[in-house]
Amino acid sequence: MNADNHARPLPTTIPEYLEQLRAALAGADPAMIQDALYDAEEYLRSELAEQAGKTEAEVIAGVAGSYGAPEEVAEIYRETEVTVNRALRAPGMRITPAAVAAAAAAPAGPTLPPPAAAPQRSLVARFFGVVLDPHTYGALFYMLLSLATGTFFFTWVVTGLSLSVSLLILIIGIPILLLFLGSVRVLSLVEGRIIETMLGVRMPRRPAYTDKSQGWLARIGAMFADGRTWLTMLYFLLMLPLGVAYFTIATTLLSLSLALMFAPLGDLLFDHPAGIWIDGVNVATAFWVWPVSVAVGALLLFGTLHLARGIGKLHGAMAKHLLVRL
Amino acid sequence: MSDLDAQLRKFQKELSSGTVSLALLAVLAKASEPLYGYLIAKELERVGEGVLSGKQSALYPVLRNLEGAGLLESHVEPSVSGPPRRYYRINDDGRAALRQWIAAWDATRNSLQYVLEGIH
Repeated sequence: MNADNHARPLPTTIPEYLEQLRAALAGADPAMIQDALYDAEEYLRSELAEQAGKTEAEVIAGVAGSYGAPEEVAEIYRETEVTVNRALRAPGMRITPAAVAAAAAAPAGPTLPPPAAAPQRSLVARFFGVVLDPHTYGALFYMLLSLATGTFFFTWVVTGLSLSVSLLILIIGIPILLLFLGSVRVLSLVEGRIIETMLGVRMPRRPAYTDKSQGWLARIGAMFADGRTWLTMLYFLLMLPLGVAYFTIATTLLSLSLALMFAPLGDLLFDHPAGIWIDGVNVATAFWVWPVSVAVGALLLFGTLHLARGIGKLHGAMAKHLLVRL
Repeated sequence: MSDLDAQLRKFQKELSSGTVSLALLAVLAKASEPLYGYLIAKELERVGEGVLSGKQSALYPVLRNLEGAGLLESHVEPSVSGPPRRYYRINDDGRAALRQWIAAWDATRNSLQYVLEGIH
C-alpha cells in the first residue's frame, strides 16, 4: 500500500493535485469524485492562504503529510463511500437514524459487519414486497412532482437562453447570459438533491470543481466548453415532456386501479350506481364482476408501484449521466 | 518489521473509526461559532496525537455523515481564498448524542485502563 502510494511524484500546484486525485479516483462514483475534489480544494486553498509566503509546491508537500497525498485521499474516500452505501442502501433496509449514525461512527469501515445476505424470496413476495420499499413512494411522488419542476426547468432554460442570446447584440446580454449559466448550475444541484432524496441515487452535494487559479475570462470560457453545462440544459428541456408523461402515467394508473378497487364499495354502501362503462355499455351488471374488479385493481396498483420504482431507477440513471458526467 | 507496521496501521484505523466522530462532535460542541472543515482539521491537529493525527481528508466524509445523521447543521459561505466553505454547527441532537458517546467512551477507557494495568 505504502510503496505504490508514492510512486508518482508529488504535484506542485493545486490543479495538479486535484488532477491526480481525480485520476486516483477514476472509476468511482462521479458524484463522490465531485465531493472529494471539492473538499480537497477547500483544504488546499485554506492552507495556502494560511501560510502566506510559502510557495504552492511547499504547501502541497506539507499537505501530503497532514491531509494526505492524492492516492491516500482517494483510498480514504473509497472506503468511506463503501461503508455509507452499505449502511444506507442495503437491500430491503429502511434508512433509519441508527443506520446513518452507525455509518457516521465507522468511517474506516472494517469494523462494521457485512450485511446479512438477503434471503431468497419467492416471486410472489418480491412482487408484493414493493410496498415496503421506501424508494417506491419516493419515485411515485417524484413522478407527480416532476410536472411542476419540469415545467419550471423548461421555462427557465428557454426563457434564459432566448433572452440572453437575443440580447447579446447589446452589451447587457453578456451579464445576463453569465447569470443564466450560473443559475443552471445551481438548479442542477437542487435537482440532484431532489433526486437523491426521492430516488435514492447518489448525486453530488457540492458544486462542480472549477479551476480558481485561472482568470475569470478563462473560467467563463471553460463554462462554455464544459459539456456538462449543455447536458444540464438538455436535461432541463427533457424534463417538460418527461414530467408530463410521468404525471400522466402516475395519475391515470393510480386513479384507475383505486377506482377498480373501491367501485364495489360505492355500489354497496352509498347506493350510488357504480359500473364499468365501455363505449357507453355497462359491463358490470352481474354481481360476480365486483370481486374480479377488486382483484384487477389491486394487481394494477402493485403493477403501478413497480412501474414507478422502475421509472425512478431509469430516471436516476439518466440524471446521473446528464448532470454529473465527468 | 513491515508486517508489524501493517498491523499497527490496521489497529490505528479500527481505533480511529469511532473516535474520530466523537472528537469532531466534541470540537464543534466546544467551539463558540460555526467552523469549516479546514479549521476543524487544524484544531484536531493542534491537540491530536495517536489516531487523531491521521490523515485529515478522512474528516470531511465523517462531517458529512454526521450532518446526514442529523447531529450537525451546516451552511455555505463564500470565501476570498477559495471555493465557498461549508460551516458546521452542532445541534441539540448532536449534543445529546455527544453526552451518550462521552459516557460510553469513559466506561471503555476506564475498563481498558484496568485491563492494561501492570503491562510494560
